[in-house]
Parts: sequence; structure tokens; C-alpha cells
Amino acid sequence: MATKKLSFIVKSLPYKTEASRLALTHAIASQTVEIYLEDGDMVEPVLAFMGDGVLNCLKDQTAMNLYGVTSLEQHIKNSLLLDLKVIICKEDVEKFGLSEDALIMDAEDIGGETKASIAPFSEIMKEMDSSDHLLFF
Amino acid sequence: MKLCVLVSDFRNMDDTLSRLKADKLGVFLVSNGVYHAALKEGGKKSSILEKSPHLYVLSEDLESRGFSESEIDTRVRSITYSGLVDLLFNEYEKIIWI
Amino acid sequence: MAKLTIGIFSSLVGSLSLDFAVKLSQAAIKKGHSVDFWLSGNATMLSKKGQRSFKDYSALQKPVQELLATGKFQITACEACAEARGFHKEDTMEGCKRHSMDWYLASCFSADRVLHIGGD
Repeated sequence: MATKKLSFIVKSLPYKTEASRLALTHAIASQTVEIYLEDGDMVEPVLAFMGDGVLNCLKDQTAMNLYGVTSLEQHIKNSLLLDLKVIICKEDVEKFGLSEDALIMDAEDIGGETKASIAPFSEIMKEMDSSDHLLFF
Repeated sequence: MKLCVLVSDFRNMDDTLSRLKADKLGVFLVSNGVYHAALKEGGKKSSILEKSPHLYVLSEDLESRGFSESEIDTRVRSITYSGLVDLLFNEYEKIIWI
Repeated sequence: MAKLTIGIFSSLVGSLSLDFAVKLSQAAIKKGHSVDFWLSGNATMLSKKGQRSFKDYSALQKPVQELLATGKFQITACEACAEARGFHKEDTMEGCKRHSMDWYLASCFSADRVLHIGGD
């Protein structure tokens, strides 16, 4: 029985490219990876947003209404609903002059219990250090 | 950790690279990242070259862009794809592409 | 020897990042390693059969077929990303598989090294 930890580090802005959306959908795919693995083996994903990537975490995205695509907001909420660890870089949030109120911190409206955290980049670095593999988006 | 960073662009690489901390950090200039090894802007060399003592440039990408090994900064070692494979498997544990 | 998993989202022809990944795969296999190659997003274009080779354009179908023939290379396209782009099962290059995104995570689980190229 083994667990491999994968860090999904999102630096890209949303929508113009699909990079950040694919980061989220790939991380969420960890929920079904066991069909390919031996009994007891697991993949543990960690999602971290840094640099421009923290802007994926803004609330009130209306991409579904305007472009007919699931918003990054909804994808992040789905991640939280599935109890994925979500970290938003504190320094970059502050750099953009954002407050916690402006960001998606939970998925309570869809029944999720896990909350996102705003943490210093040093915490993201710790997650990367303890991960088996790193995927930058 | 021993981290290999494949730098694939000429612009906007500095911020991410500056934040990464590793026991051993290897900076591999590939694709458009090779310009960091070969060019000066305003008379100054790229600040990427200060990020690590372990600097490499992919010779295939360098030469396809019109540069030769003799034109690169002396701190940078030119490697082929074969050399890159050896370094990735023997000297580094994790790889990122920026 | 060891396994390298490469996950790539870059466009076929529109970016040389896919060419980089294919060349790296060639070098790794020549050294005796095996490679899992995951195509997602725009990179699923590489899974489509019938690509034509022109001098001015990068052509990867033949190098991929040659890699498949080594027996040490697996190439898998994200089914959802391919279908969204109108590439169906019958359009897929011989030897290229199609799976959902969890396949990539499973490949990462058993890989010795993972290179993820998440965009053009």
C-alpha cells in the first residue's frame, strides 16, 4: 500500500487558456484513479495557486452564463467538496490587494466541509518538497 | 529536494524561479529559454543566470535559434537531449516546466 | 531501467513543445528507459490519424509510430479533451489509447520522473 503525493501548482490566469481548468479537472480525477492501482494504493493531490494563478480563486465568476463553460469558481468548489487540499498564496493575494472575502474559501453552498487556506509561499514550498511529483500549470 | 526547472520562455520567468527553494536547483534553458544563455539586453545578462550554479542549455534549441556554444555565458553548460535524460534521472528527483 | 511520464497540453504544430517532448522521449528510450506520454487539451491533436507531413511544419505522427514500435512507449489521449475537439475513437492513430484523466495520475503514481508541460 502506497500513497503518492502530487502537487498541482497553478500559475496561469483562467479562461484565455485552459491550463488552470485542466489543473483542476486532473486533480479532481484523483477520486477515480484507484481503478488503475493496486488495492490500497492512492494518489494524494494538493492544489496550490500562486502568482497570477490566485486570480482563478476570485468569487462571482459568470463564465457559465456568458461562455457556457463551467467556471473556475465551480471547479474549485468541486475540489473542496471532494476534500482536496487547496492553498492560495498569501503574498500574491496581498500583491493584488485582495482580501479573503473576495476569494473562494469554501464550498458550503454545495455541501462541502473542507475550506481553502491562504498561506505563505513557504507553505506551498513545503507541500512541493513533500510531494513525489510536481505539475505546474 | 533536487529540483530541475526547465525554463522554456524568455520573459516572466524571474519571479517564479526566484521563489523556488531546493537543496539542489538545476536550471535548464530549453525552447525560448535558451535566449537567457545567449543574449544581453541593455548590456546586461539575464538575471536567470544568477539563480543557480547548475545552469544548462539544450544545444538543439540553441542552435536551431542561430546561436553556437561559443556565444553562451561561460556559466552555462551545453547539453543534448541525451545529456538531459541522464541529468533528469541521475541528478534530480523532481522536474517542473515553466 | 526507469519510467518517465510526460503529460503535455501543447498544440500540435502550433508549438514546438510537443516536439520537445517527443525528442525527450526518443532520448529516454534510447537510454533504456520507458515513457508514458499523456496528451490532454490541445495536445490531443497528436492522437489524430492522417497527419500529413510538410517541410514547413513539424510532423510527429511518424516519430510517434516509431516510438510505439520500440515497445517502451505508451501514448494516451484524454478522451474528453479529444471528443470536445471532434476527435472520435475512429479518428485515433493506431497504437494511441484514450482514457480519462485518472489514467495520467496512475501513470504518475508509478513513474520515476514526471515532466508536466501544462500549456503552449
